[in-house]
Amino acid sequence: MGALLIAPPEPRLDPHGVAIIGAGPFARAIAQIVVASGARPRVFVRRLGERPELSKGLGQAELSDDLPRVLDGARLVVFAVPAGELEDIATRAGPHLMPDQVALVVSRGLTEGFLLPHEHLRRQTCLRQIGVLGGPLNIAELEAGRRLNVVIATRYRAVLEIARHFTSATRVSFEPTRDLIGVSIAGAIANVASIAAGLAEALELGATARGVLQARGVFEATRLGTAHGAEASTFGGLAGLGELIPRDVRSMERHEELGRALATMPLSAAMEKVGGHVEGVLTAQVASERARQRGLELPLVQGLQAVMSGEDEARKRLDSILVKPLAEGRG
Amino acid sequence: MRSEDQERIVTELVSRVCGERTRGAEAGQGGLRETLEESAFHERKRLAADRGKSPAYAEDAAFWDGLQGRLKHGAEHDLRRALRDVVGHYAREVQGNFDPRVYAVATRVLPPALGMLLNAVSPLKLAQRLPSLPSLDDRIEVQGEVEQLRRLHERGTVVLVPTHVSNLDSPIVGFALYKIGLPPFVYGAGLNLFTNPLISFFMRNLGAYTVDRKKQDPLYKDVLKTYATLSIEQGYDNLFFPGGTRSRSGAVEAKLKRGLLGTGLAAYINNLRRGAPRPKVFVVPCTLSSQLVLEAETLVDDFLQEVGKSRYIIDDDEFSQPRRIFDFASQLSSLDAKTHVTISRGMDVFGNQVDDEGVSLDPRGRAIDERRYVFADGEARHVADRDAEYTTDLADAISRAFSRDNLVESTHVSARAIFGLLRKRNPKMSTLRIIRTGGIDDDLALRDVLAELERLLDELRPMHDQGRIRLGPSARGPAEDVLSDGLMHFSIYHTRAAARRRGDRVVPSDRTLLLYYQNRLEGYHLDGGDVLSDDRKNLRGGER
Repeated sequence: MGALLIAPPEPRLDPHGVAIIGAGPFARAIAQIVVASGARPRVFVRRLGERPELSKGLGQAELSDDLPRVLDGARLVVFAVPAGELEDIATRAGPHLMPDQVALVVSRGLTEGFLLPHEHLRRQTCLRQIGVLGGPLNIAELEAGRRLNVVIATRYRAVLEIARHFTSATRVSFEPTRDLIGVSIAGAIANVASIAAGLAEALELGATARGVLQARGVFEATRLGTAHGAEASTFGGLAGLGELIPRDVRSMERHEELGRALATMPLSAAMEKVGGHVEGVLTAQVASERARQRGLELPLVQGLQAVMSGEDEARKRLDSILVKPLAEGRG
Repeated sequence: MRSEDQERIVTELVSRVCGERTRGAEAGQGGLRETLEESAFHERKRLAADRGKSPAYAEDAAFWDGLQGRLKHGAEHDLRRALRDVVGHYAREVQGNFDPRVYAVATRVLPPALGMLLNAVSPLKLAQRLPSLPSLDDRIEVQGEVEQLRRLHERGTVVLVPTHVSNLDSPIVGFALYKIGLPPFVYGAGLNLFTNPLISFFMRNLGAYTVDRKKQDPLYKDVLKTYATLSIEQGYDNLFFPGGTRSRSGAVEAKLKRGLLGTGLAAYINNLRRGAPRPKVFVVPCTLSSQLVLEAETLVDDFLQEVGKSRYIIDDDEFSQPRRIFDFASQLSSLDAKTHVTISRGMDVFGNQVDDEGVSLDPRGRAIDERRYVFADGEARHVADRDAEYTTDLADAISRAFSRDNLVESTHVSARAIFGLLRKRNPKMSTLRIIRTGGIDDDLALRDVLAELERLLDELRPMHDQGRIRLGPSARGPAEDVLSDGLMHFSIYHTRAAARRRGDRVVPSDRTLLLYYQNRLEGYHLDGGDVLSDDRKNLRGGER
């Protein structure tokens, strides 16, 4: 039809503009990828003045603690804060976000009310074109110049196009899927399984026990995920089984460390010892609560929650989980 | 619809649909000959099954016979002409023989006309019974965001999307719109509703266009969607039932048909592209609720016979029996029963809520420029896959509104309590078996039913206060009153009461109907679980 154009909405977005919220290892890795593509990302860092060391290694990236300025005009907004901070940051970002911006969520973990990371964006902002990053985010590979395989879950092609644009010159390959729920739940429960694996290690239960617990993690993620509309096949893929690939990632290491500490001390002391964000703790609590409401059996998740809340003794509970056949119970 | 707009819509429709197909053919997405052969195939199949039953049979058969010859030897330009003829043929049928003069009269005499619709009896009978006819004004209660709907109608084009349980829904919505002072909305009505000449006369003239669900030709579906899109672009408020067909289970629709819903977005983008003065399209969900449903027995039978894939077309139900409609209306009137039409908050075509001025809001209530969802490289664009996802988001937002504004009455909560008790008493039986056998007991103790109902109401009352569901007036009192109201309604209309009281016992006499009415509370994860989602597999039989 004859297009009589009306004035396009202002301001126009910069197609190469990238805003990265967060300054953790993932946020930094993404900033490096964007810099390598020739663009100049803006990185939002809280209390930047107290942490000048963060700008090291980020080349052309611009660090700022001014959120509206970081978001302004960016076509892509990457949310790479701990899951527990996502609601707050989404609420603060909300007034400065635009419907044509594209978001990528790197945060992992369930929060109060069984909310998945991307759901905070849907609840607090006008953003629709959202992608969730999953799979073995083994950023050490990237640093060593090796291939990095990740999963991007999204319903919108624009997210994939942008990801392709920024990674075309790198060794990052990504696998697209539409299963946002599956990828989010797989990533969240993998953290819980890591805590269990650390605990098993400290209790000297052996390598088999560790493997069984991790396999059970994937199994329970599948059960929890499919009960919430995820596709079972997601959990057998890179976002599920792929999580078992050994890797050198600080957040995962923290989860295992917390597990090891739990062998000898209560949760609060263990968390203090480990420091930083251990999303798996809240995830286990939220997932256990949901399992109870929906009548789902998640022995690993619920067992670990019982151990962490001090209701149950660790060795006894892990033993009972390890002897349980995987396929038992209703899904 | 104004007659000049009608002309314009048909002309533009033919040009758009033919243009898209021709461009598609040039881009290698299937040639015109294939398109036309597919149309001919579907139409011949339909006509073979019809065997002269439909009034347009002879005309249709002659049309497709004539086309067959042109297809065989036609050159490219002949095929283009044939395509225009087919699309024009469909378009004129969809549009029907609308008469603007009758439209003007009908708009003025709407309430009595709808009275006739609701009663659907011959004018003579109607005249004889006139004094005892229920007054629609008292029977239909319009509530919710009425004021916002009026304002949105002023600020853009409204697409009203109601829940759908009965063929009486469209006249009821028509009356509700009249009652709140809005002109009739354009809507697609199934061909079966046009078989009664009296109903047909008024349907046509109250903005209805024809949808023949027996036509499976994809080209016909394109024509329907384009017709709706164009009427929205011309500023005509539309009415869609997004569930597509009447809910067979009795549950409020959770899965919505996105084909028609997407026409709102398509029209909005076209409006932006041509710089229309009032480009906005508002989608307003609406729930209809009454204590009894005219066609409950047929619908739920259909649901149980083919769980998950019900017949799309039912033409032999209670609605085709004028006597049943009359009994239904007059018995309901004797009980002072009301149908509640609840208007939800309006939203934009992306599923964002809008304020009273029609400004789109983000989830925190902040104004946003919703045009940005469709602008790319400086212009408003159609992007098929993106737009389909926006429409999915819209459908989800509508489902949530349905769930929040679903009004449950005494019949629904009573049925849920009785059916829930049957499930508790027979934990090893599948739902289907409970329906067939009634479980191990012949009846239930009244006090147990009341206790179960009280527990259910205790669960629902806070949900009502939090805006997660609506308790209708008949479901707000103490359990004794609610149950007695529910049982009284069950006893008055259906061939067999869903449940009845015998002394201090309650007899679940028609479990199929109990399932139907309790299903209105499905999807809320109430204590005791959802029967449909927990048990959909088991409805086919077998033990849990």
